Amino acid sequence: MESAIAESIAAFIFGSVAGMLVQRSRFCNTAALRDAILFKTYRNTKALLVAMIILTLGFTTFMTFGEGKPMKFDVGLNQVIGLFLFGIGMVLAGACTVSTWVKSGEGNVGAMWALLFTFVGMFLFSLAWSATFWPPASMSMTGDPNLKALQFGYSNAATLQEKYGIPAVVFGAAQALVLYAIYRAIRRKEIAREKKLGASLPEQECSGCDAHASRPEAAE
Amino acid sequence: MEAIRNMEFFNKTLDPVIALSAIAILDIFLFLVVGAWTVGGGETMMTGLFAQKVMGTEAVARIPFWSLVFKPNPLYWKIYISLGMLFGSFVSAVLSREFYLRFPRRLSEWLMITVGGLLMGIGIRFAFVCNVSTFFGLTPEMNMGGYLSIIGIIAGAWVGSMIYKRILEG
Repeated sequence: MESAIAESIAAFIFGSVAGMLVQRSRFCNTAALRDAILFKTYRNTKALLVAMIILTLGFTTFMTFGEGKPMKFDVGLNQVIGLFLFGIGMVLAGACTVSTWVKSGEGNVGAMWALLFTFVGMFLFSLAWSATFWPPASMSMTGDPNLKALQFGYSNAATLQEKYGIPAVVFGAAQALVLYAIYRAIRRKEIAREKKLGASLPEQECSGCDAHASRPEAAE
Repeated sequence: MEAIRNMEFFNKTLDPVIALSAIAILDIFLFLVVGAWTVGGGETMMTGLFAQKVMGTEAVARIPFWSLVFKPNPLYWKIYISLGMLFGSFVSAVLSREFYLRFPRRLSEWLMITVGGLLMGIGIRFAFVCNVSTFFGLTPEMNMGGYLSIIGIIAGAWVGSMIYKRILEG
């Protein structure tokens, strides 16, 4: 009970600071993907990549020493299909899980509406869920690949360390390098574009999150 | 209050690279204490708690999902990440004079948000993973699920972008 309260307080403090930073920076995960696909602008994509590099190095360093609390559950094709649906949904709604909360805090009614229907979607899914059938039924999750249930088992940097005897952070460093290479490629593209236009491009504000709630003229 | 409002932090847009770097460092601490940043799990628990309020505890308990996977529990830490984000952004929006009610204008926008929200909710539960866990939890942990999720979300965002473009142009 007490530890649950302590955990909740830690989570609330983290959430508050994260909410504030996202609000001030207008970071948007939806825009990080959508703007890169549609407009070839990468303001949010670069921030996402930098965060992932820091996190990969941080998490895998601690996982090398058996520290930290990584997520533990079997994964499978349901991740691909679920996030595919989610990806369509977030672009249509103009917000992801973070920006629905952050934009709601700013008074964006569209974001509150998206949040409400996220809850409805979750409830509808709960009615269809079955304990024995795929998608992800706990009975099909054994920790090992179970191809009949389209589950691939459980693996992360810690299990790689166990299996190959190489410290988790080495795998982490390799992943960080790949992420950095993507970041570099984006920067090179941006620099080439700036040169072509003969001047520095104006920093693009996040258009994505506000896609459905333009600023009312009378609001000021 | 005015002194806080006049701080540069509340008057200038923060570079998202700086914001996300700071969040990443905090997320490492959270990972050590309870687990990495995630939103979908907390939202699911809130859905269960709302359902209990509307339908009653017994009716909800009869649905296997709410008795086997997510037993509604108000002291589930992930709920408080979401509530924290709402609180943090509200305070920040008020201090930077950016809080005001804004509404989608056209019916088509309301419709897109409704369908989008539903797809997000169903997708999260189908995958057991949300976009935050994908990018800020599973993939940095090098969990195989992170890579599977990235494949899904990029493909989905691409399809979504094509639909979005069509609607914008249409």
